[in-house]
Amino acid sequence: MENHTLKTDYAGKRGALFKLAIKTSLLTVLTLGIYRFWMKTRLRRFYWSAIRPGGIPLEYTGTGVEKLMGFLIAVVFLSFYIGIVNLLLVFVSFSLINSNLAAYALSFVGLIPIYFYAQYRARRYVLARTRWRTMRFGIEAAAWPYAWRAMLHWLATILTLGLLLPRQIFWLEKFRIDRTWFGDQKFTQEGRWTQLLPIAIHMYIGIGLTIAATAGLWISPASASLFLLSVPWLFFGFVHFQIQSFRFLARQKRLGANIRFVAEPRTWRVIRIYIFGGLLIWLSVLAVLVGLGLIVGLVVSRVGPEVFSSQNLQGMFADGTASKPLVVAASIIAYFAFFIFSGVLVQIFITMPKLAHYARTLRVLNTAELALIRQRPRDEMSSAEGFAEALDIGAAI
Amino acid sequence: MTDTPQTRIFADYMDGESARLIRVSLRVEGKAATGALWLELPDGKTPVRWALGELRRVPDQAEANSIMLRRAGDDPARLKVSDHDMATYLASICPNISRRDKTPSLWRRLTILTSAAVASVALIVFVLVPVLADQLALILPTKGEQALGDATYQQIRQALGKDANTAAWECNNPAGIAALNKMMTRLQVGSNLPYNIRLHVLDHKMVNAFALPGGHIVLFRGLLKDAKNPEEVAGVIGHEMGHVESRDPTRLALRSAGSIGVLGLMFGDFAGGAAVLFLTEQLISAQYSQGAEARADVYSQNLLAATALPSAPMGDFFLRLKSKYGDTTGLASHMASHPDLKGRADKARAADTVGDTFVPVLNAREWRDLQAVCK
Ligand SMILES: [Zn+2]
Repeated sequence: MENHTLKTDYAGKRGALFKLAIKTSLLTVLTLGIYRFWMKTRLRRFYWSAIRPGGIPLEYTGTGVEKLMGFLIAVVFLSFYIGIVNLLLVFVSFSLINSNLAAYALSFVGLIPIYFYAQYRARRYVLARTRWRTMRFGIEAAAWPYAWRAMLHWLATILTLGLLLPRQIFWLEKFRIDRTWFGDQKFTQEGRWTQLLPIAIHMYIGIGLTIAATAGLWISPASASLFLLSVPWLFFGFVHFQIQSFRFLARQKRLGANIRFVAEPRTWRVIRIYIFGGLLIWLSVLAVLVGLGLIVGLVVSRVGPEVFSSQNLQGMFADGTASKPLVVAASIIAYFAFFIFSGVLVQIFITMPKLAHYARTLRVLNTAELALIRQRPRDEMSSAEGFAEALDIGAAI
Repeated sequence: MTDTPQTRIFADYMDGESARLIRVSLRVEGKAATGALWLELPDGKTPVRWALGELRRVPDQAEANSIMLRRAGDDPARLKVSDHDMATYLASICPNISRRDKTPSLWRRLTILTSAAVASVALIVFVLVPVLADQLALILPTKGEQALGDATYQQIRQALGKDANTAAWECNNPAGIAALNKMMTRLQVGSNLPYNIRLHVLDHKMVNAFALPGGHIVLFRGLLKDAKNPEEVAGVIGHEMGHVESRDPTRLALRSAGSIGVLGLMFGDFAGGAAVLFLTEQLISAQYSQGAEARADVYSQNLLAATALPSAPMGDFFLRLKSKYGDTTGLASHMASHPDLKGRADKARAADTVGDTFVPVLNAREWRDLQAVCK
């Protein structure tokens, strides 16, 4: 008989992640972006393996090749859709209302279902390539049903100025979880959406204050100062709702007949991670810039400032010693270097601590049934998460 | 007989068939390719044998002290060895521990898929979208065509401006505009277009002129400066009217509308701006087919003849462009963008039915005003 509760620990170290992230980012630049499929795969392998419920790490078994192929397939489909649909929309829009506004609006609207479709497909791919104790996860193929449900829920949320967000969050989560499997066992999402309402209270106050402030602008411009209160409140309320609804929904999940979960991420802890992480990122960027400045200063003082005088530099441009393409190339490299460096810092100072906090506060209850779970067949999914990749639907990892 | 460290080392074995976690003790037999790792199962079940040669390490693991082992191929079974010494020892005696699985015919599949993707996208961008655009251009109502032209004209002025916030200056010196209108009135008599031509002069040094959907024709200051007499300019305008008449710019604008989205998709978000620039470039340099150019030339020659103007000056202008910029020019000049300027010039001269005696389209003073329209 196994333990009845499994705690989760987190084994990732910043140094190891830094090395992996820097190495794969550089390869991505050197291969003009092609390596990014492998970069994401390797970072996922690392993160997954750091999360260890009951001491056994998750394993990510996706491959870079799969991702690249999925991307190619998606590009072909999307090229067709976007090329032909955009053309038809522009035509219809100019024919009927003599303007292209309708075309822009419709081509944006036309991408929304594909966005949700891609999101669901990406989830399906990632789950199909995630294993724990050698059992595969999986989610049923239901990307289109998901896409139109997601659209209707979003519409309801937007029309009610965010009031129905809890309902949307609950039903979409239920749609996904009720189709998710671990081995041959199914997950079930229990609970009711109205149970999320108490968690949403700060978000509602934020929304209410913001509406009041906006309405107040008609009466007196002084009410703009109310935004100073309402915007942070709205922000806090939204973050709080996200984290606490995750916590609530985790408790209402069931695997098979009995296995249950407890997730206890704390709102302020997550906010602290973002604030301190952001601060550390800026400090690191600053430190690197100061370091570079010192090096340049040192070089100038060694070879003498006259070498870098403006006439001399102009001369270098004029006689081709420093040709314009060279300068352009240098600035492009600097630009990419900055983004890579800050991307790596985001992984280390925000993504990883956040994941660690979520992992460490996760427990699996009533685990006796685990030993009875059997394997599920492999979900081939040849287009992988190519649609999400092509549409740049961002996930940090 | 065994090289395993003296104490019994345990590890976590997961068989890939169930979520059971099985505590096994490890026994190493032999070394390298011929050796084996025996997993002794509890309750006296038959031990599992993993050949050392087929042992692989699962890569990029976060935890440095332990090792996660698998067998080569698709076997989902895993062995987690947490004992650091044993992990190091196993890594040292397994010859292929870091080798990756070979995906069968991976490079062949990748090459095929990449070529297929490139070919399909090319087919969409270069065949499907153009064919559809050409058909749609013919049935686009006149009002819609004019609106399309208005939108693209604003975009082009914006793109030719000195920076992102300034549109290119539309030259409007009253005397010059009056001269332009006089020329246009004479040319319009010979045309059969469903709408009035809207002629613009943009303050730009490029020697170029181009047409946009719905009867916009744009001349650049550089072209007025390079022309020797007003009849040369009239020939150019006639040529652009020919493009308008056969809806060449409408085709091009619709094609670009289809291709822009695809380009944006392939090069990511940042290409949003680049895509608009691409559209602008396309319309300005207006690389129409040889046939379309020839048709526009003929249209211009007929128009000039109908308004009692010579077409020889247009031929002279072509030749001057050729000697000044060559057949292939970096100026992205529509007039000079086609090879065989010489042939076109000859045809223009041959088509000349008017000769040297004609009423000039502008008098000397009006011609000076037109050339100074940007001042
Ligand atoms: Zn032409």
